[in-house]
Amino acid sequence: MTDKQVYIRGTGIISSMGSHLAATEKSLRGNRSAIRPLTLFPLLHGSPLPVGQVGGLSDSATVPRTHLLASLAARQAMDGCIRPPDAIILGTTTGGILTTEKLLRSNDQQKDRYRHHGLNTVANYLADQLNCTGPALVVSTACSSGVVAIALALRMLRRGQAETVLAGGVDSLSRLTYFGFHSLQLVDQAGCRPLDQNRRGMAVAEGAGMLLLTTQKTDTCFAELLGAGLSCDAYHPAAPHPDGQGAFMAMRQALTDAGLGPEEIDYINLHGTGTPDNDLAESKAVRRLFSLPPPLSSIKGASGHSLAAAGAVEAVVATMTITRGLMPANTGLRTVDPALGLQPLTHPLELPARAVLSNSFGFGGNNGSLIIGAADVFQRTASRQRGTGLAIHGYSCLTGAGGTAATIAQTQTGATVAGMAGIEIISANLPPRMIRRLKRLPKMTLSLAAAAYEKATTAAVNAPKPGSVFMGTGWGALSETHDFLTRLAESKEQFPSPTDFVGSVHNGPASQVAIMFGATGPNITTSGGDYSFEQAVMAADLILEDATQPAIILGADEGHDPFSRLLDPSIRPETVLADGGGALCVTREMKDALCALSIPFYQSGKAEGVIAALVDALGVRPNKPSGYALILAGIPAAMHREGKQQLEQFMALSHLSVPVVDYRNYIGEFASASAVATSLAVSFLESGHIPGALVSGGDIAITSETSNILILGLGRQITAMELCRP
Amino acid sequence: MRELIEELKVKLIEILHLADVTPEDFHEDSQLVGGELGIDSIDVLEMVVMVEKDYGIIINNQEVGEKVFSSLANLAAYIKEHSGQAAS
Repeated sequence: MTDKQVYIRGTGIISSMGSHLAATEKSLRGNRSAIRPLTLFPLLHGSPLPVGQVGGLSDSATVPRTHLLASLAARQAMDGCIRPPDAIILGTTTGGILTTEKLLRSNDQQKDRYRHHGLNTVANYLADQLNCTGPALVVSTACSSGVVAIALALRMLRRGQAETVLAGGVDSLSRLTYFGFHSLQLVDQAGCRPLDQNRRGMAVAEGAGMLLLTTQKTDTCFAELLGAGLSCDAYHPAAPHPDGQGAFMAMRQALTDAGLGPEEIDYINLHGTGTPDNDLAESKAVRRLFSLPPPLSSIKGASGHSLAAAGAVEAVVATMTITRGLMPANTGLRTVDPALGLQPLTHPLELPARAVLSNSFGFGGNNGSLIIGAADVFQRTASRQRGTGLAIHGYSCLTGAGGTAATIAQTQTGATVAGMAGIEIISANLPPRMIRRLKRLPKMTLSLAAAAYEKATTAAVNAPKPGSVFMGTGWGALSETHDFLTRLAESKEQFPSPTDFVGSVHNGPASQVAIMFGATGPNITTSGGDYSFEQAVMAADLILEDATQPAIILGADEGHDPFSRLLDPSIRPETVLADGGGALCVTREMKDALCALSIPFYQSGKAEGVIAALVDALGVRPNKPSGYALILAGIPAAMHREGKQQLEQFMALSHLSVPVVDYRNYIGEFASASAVATSLAVSFLESGHIPGALVSGGDIAITSETSNILILGLGRQITAMELCRP
Repeated sequence: MRELIEELKVKLIEILHLADVTPEDFHEDSQLVGGELGIDSIDVLEMVVMVEKDYGIIINNQEVGEKVFSSLANLAAYIKEHSGQAAS
């Protein structure tokens, strides 16, 4: 059986180059730069830096610019398609931050006004607009987010888990990124000149790119998504690997995935940010893979670098290269840097292309490459083998009670573990030098990952180190984001912290894990609000092959005053702040595993008949033993009423008589509480009993008839994860 | 000069979060960037901000930066030289 082919049915694009595809094509044919001095927000000092700003976008008082950009591109991509997409997968790095910045500056304390801050709200906004009730996933891997989103969609479609997926990336300009990149001295004050001998850096930009991907070919499908490759440098939080090792691996992986040889690529759309380091590293990787590189260019001298949007915007441009036979010029280039050894296109080239490679690399060494080709030209590739379920070999958790052992011990007593552990506890197992610059979230993340791996190594001697990382976080690095914006404001925009900016990206913690383990495989951070960990599990299940190296799947969030109180709708003024997370060390090999993890269900709570669909998906039937020993139900406080109703409906429809624990009562009110619940559930299966104190009774023994634990997510989304003991 | 060096030791320990380093065992001639302390490009930028904020000296040239931040002694010398110019 072969994997399904994935066609590009529609595209949407909005950037500094224009508000739709035709305007973009005209701009690229004209080889013009759209980079201009910033006008979006006023500055306290100096002249505005050149940026790639989208023109003519009318601001909304309530809906952030990112959401508007995403919506405009999504509508273009969905043009002529009446049926909502089965899933939405979006890459974004800063979500509603521009609106949040304004609110913070006016010291607005009205919580409701911050409701569009979270990255997940961008995907939810699109889902609501398009009536999509399937999974709405958000990935945040800095400047490769758009490509990673499209790569996940490719896997989902190939496997037949969806027929149509809207995938892309979006980011708006914001003070965080404008001043952040400037503080890293990565902005070229004279515009952006990728691959030029005199290049001085990038131009921060904004935009959105969307692809409507489908396995059902229509007569408007002229291009196909042939392959994707993901890798991580595991080298440095911000700088690329000097030899472009990760870039090379991502490109090579994409070729393998597409079943193509380097000689079959007709054009390369480079990442080409214009920073001295990126362009040099990328050129080395290209020359290593291509003995005779095809025509190539970076369009970022025309568009600027729209961060999470860039990979998706360039995927749309790559599609245009296929359908219109246009290879864009390397706008802004005057004198090619001889050190690069490449000959970028100095003028747009009209030439038919059958396959295009498009690169995106980001902070944390997160790399992604896509291959887009003409429809039905290349032979179908063989099905990729994979095991079923994720085999858990190690686990860990952190809560207000402390680390794994302390949390499990306290759970036995039925007492709450909700709270925030001291900073010395959350980094007890980490060397001081490794964490000297890190704040709360990355410390917790490293600690969790190290502990989960250590647990796996005690179970299996000589376990190889993890090769890939999948992390879910609802809110990302709140301390770093808060401290960056605070110092920016306090110093009257003069002395923002480069360290805090680098630390503020959602994928910062997961990239630290990659550095700790030397994990050069896929490194994906998801941000799906209260379902972020579930999204990380989905990403792992989609991406993880029968690898020789294990993967780390984790979820973590930090409690932050004032940000958690301001941003998280489930935290009320009287709520005790809680944080922590859970991590799993997984493979595809069930031998010697503690248990298997799967995620059989993920849908919007708004979907018609969603609870019945959940019951159906779990295969629960009256008079048939379900195998469940326990149900752990996650009901975020902000959705308490809806969640309770959903749970009641589920129990009624499923006829299950299994103890149910509303776990947020014990673990605390934070986005990644489900990661803690999952780790605790693994510990129950390992020990063979469920503490009676949790279920108001005696200890429950886990038997061969009841060896499964169901972890439900309720509220805005309905999710189900199953843990099964072998 | 000695005073400036001691002042910088305290500042660097703070802004670079060198919690396990004391001013006494911070040697001004030992390699700063890429040395034992694990100081990298992000730390350099943090030091650039500090030098501008506290001493009014702007370092926005990578080659100059590499020389200035090669050791604490070189950093002190650079600050002394340029703050002298600024004052005169």
